[in-house]
Amino acid sequence: MTGRDDPDPERLRAAARELVDVALTIQDAAAHATAALTDGALLRALPRAPSAARPAYRALLRATTNGQGLGCAFTGGGRLSTAAGKAGAMLGAESLAVRVLATSLRLRVAAVAVAHPELTGDPMLARLIDAAAADRDLEAVRALRALLKDRGAVRALSQLAPVFGEVLALRALLDENPLNDAAAWLIATGKGFATADPITGMSNRAIAVLDTGEGAARRVELTAAESARLCTRGSLLGFLGNISTLGTTGRALIQSVEGPDGVIRHVLQAPGMRAGRPDGESPQDLLGAFSSAVLASSPYSRALAEAVADYGLPPGAELALVGHSAGGAAIMNLAQDADFCARHTVTHAVAVGSPVDFKRPADPRTWVASVTNQHDIIPTLDGQGAGTCFDLHPDWYVVDYGDATHLFPLCHGIEHYLANLADDLPEAREHIDGRLTPFRGRVVRSQAYLLFDRPPDPEGFPFLTVPTRAVDGPEGSVELPIRCRDGDALTAYFAAHPAVAAGLLEGTGLGPAVRVAGRALVAVHAARNRHTTAGGYGELQVGVVVPGPSRRRSRSPVWPDLLRAADLRRSGSFLVGSAVDATTVRALGPRLWGGETYLTSLDVRLGARSAHVSADLILTLRGRLGPGLPLNDPGLVGYAREAGAVLRSCVRTRGRARLHAAPSLRLAVAPRSAHPLADRLRELGLDGARPLLCLSATTRQALRDAAVPVPPG
Amino acid sequence: MSAEIAAHAEVLRTDARALAACAERLRAIEAELKAGGGAPDWLHASVTAHLAACAVAAADLETAARRLSRYADTATP
Repeated sequence: MTGRDDPDPERLRAAARELVDVALTIQDAAAHATAALTDGALLRALPRAPSAARPAYRALLRATTNGQGLGCAFTGGGRLSTAAGKAGAMLGAESLAVRVLATSLRLRVAAVAVAHPELTGDPMLARLIDAAAADRDLEAVRALRALLKDRGAVRALSQLAPVFGEVLALRALLDENPLNDAAAWLIATGKGFATADPITGMSNRAIAVLDTGEGAARRVELTAAESARLCTRGSLLGFLGNISTLGTTGRALIQSVEGPDGVIRHVLQAPGMRAGRPDGESPQDLLGAFSSAVLASSPYSRALAEAVADYGLPPGAELALVGHSAGGAAIMNLAQDADFCARHTVTHAVAVGSPVDFKRPADPRTWVASVTNQHDIIPTLDGQGAGTCFDLHPDWYVVDYGDATHLFPLCHGIEHYLANLADDLPEAREHIDGRLTPFRGRVVRSQAYLLFDRPPDPEGFPFLTVPTRAVDGPEGSVELPIRCRDGDALTAYFAAHPAVAAGLLEGTGLGPAVRVAGRALVAVHAARNRHTTAGGYGELQVGVVVPGPSRRRSRSPVWPDLLRAADLRRSGSFLVGSAVDATTVRALGPRLWGGETYLTSLDVRLGARSAHVSADLILTLRGRLGPGLPLNDPGLVGYAREAGAVLRSCVRTRGRARLHAAPSLRLAVAPRSAHPLADRLRELGLDGARPLLCLSATTRQALRDAAVPVPPG
Repeated sequence: MSAEIAAHAEVLRTDARALAACAERLRAIEAELKAGGGAPDWLHASVTAHLAACAVAAADLETAARRLSRYADTATP
């Protein structure tokens, strides 16, 4: 792969292009010969001229199988010729067309190597590329393994990125797997999107169709910090900065800007895919990225269209589309959607780090810019990267550049593209900004959208969809039950002084306390209810665990009952104290669970393996939770004694919880605190105590209604 | 029926000529790269192999075309 002199990459690319033409001519000839060989007309004429038929057949067979000529050239035609072609590929008998195409790909690699000398200068990369080009499968596999071992997968792929498509296509053309040949052919000839994975031959479309959904978008508010970071004037860097601010959180943004001519125009801004596993909810996942790139319409692009429809563009209003990564492919899908373009005037489409080579705007007047880093693998997923020898879009503004950062995914990040456009590509930035001049004015409206594969259920449906009633609170009426759509909770069970617990239960009719090895079981429950109909609030409750109010002794053991769903549970905690950090909820305390409720600042942080709870002047409870057994969140039952009656409060929950059998948390009562709840915890002997077991629940939904008196038994 | 066979023969004859032209194009590609001083070392061997294959393929197609023509003539009722 080395040249004698400084080669001209454009000359090499032109030669590669010419070789593609030659290969296509040869392929046509092979198809014609195959068609003649398999034409039934020849067979039907056989009885009339058997002596002439035999030499004709022999000549056709030779033409389509001669390794010195067309090679194994069965192509086109029916199933028989397809099967024969695939059998030939499996036997490693390439056609002349494939060999010429491989030479074209090697010239493309040589052209890229002029700008990326590391491709040929690095012995390990050169070994891999040479082995792929020379059809030495075993050597190619060994070279790839050595490269991965030496550099790691990320660095190896990043370094190969500029010729990723070419190397894959070379391997696919020359290997014995017939299933990937069509994809390799498309990459090599630039005729279309690689329809299959060039390694396995698995159809891209087969994978993309897993991404289903009509797409949906719902308005969401940005946080104050995010809103403050949005650009206040339209510009390329401003719009890309907005995409960076949104992050890969499943959201998109639409802004209206007042152009220099006083006309209000609109800009749709679409981020890339969210890392992690496909979730079946957001179109910004891996499947969404795949389908946006492969298909002309995807849940992501349909969700964006929904957002635009909801935003309410005036008829004829001009719209610019800006997208990064999968967002770039999705906005190009909108640009090539004739119906969308009939509804809206799409004037600009700017795709950054996106595989968009085979997208075509429906309106030829749409100005398209594509910005790609040559070490970024994502834009090459459609098979065309730095090495392409085809000018697929002579009317597009294409910026395909290289920089010193060769590491993927760093070079794919929106922040990296932003930095490159700000510092290293001033001409490109100014050119795109120049074309975006009508959108370079004051931002007059911004609206973020959360995108979905399919319309989401109404919030909280069905669990939180319950009859409600208004009750008076200190700051106006509050709806009961309080409906929490997102919260965390931790319940820690301790062994406490039995005599103190018995004293607390005396006269309540709820005793005796549930015992463990002769000690009383006490529950410390802390919850952070992030989003509720009464606002976000934290709560802390300490209670002695009791079997229930009935005077009749239940024969069944209490422990299994503790994990029963709250609305069916007899056992619960006799509350010896409650604290919250919101005045509204504190005022509702007597109604919700009975007894005195203190107001204090609360910090509840719950992770998968650790917990941190602190209640000002009362306690801290923190440490590792240890492994947990998954189960349904059983909710919470509390009892209180008020005016001679027993009140039962119940928190019904929905979500997963974990039972931690060996937690290593420790409870510390606030030193020297005279808070009544701190005193109570000291009396119970819980200062410095470790819980016997814990129940943690994250991202749970909860319904908390008013406590009800238990009818006398 | 024989007309269909004859049509195949004609197409293959045209293809044989096209492959001969391909050989010329391959020579021109290599020559141009050499002239520009940017021909990779391995290119000459590849192009030489392609040239030879094009020549053989053209001859094979020509032979097939000739025999198909004879078959078409013989099979004519």
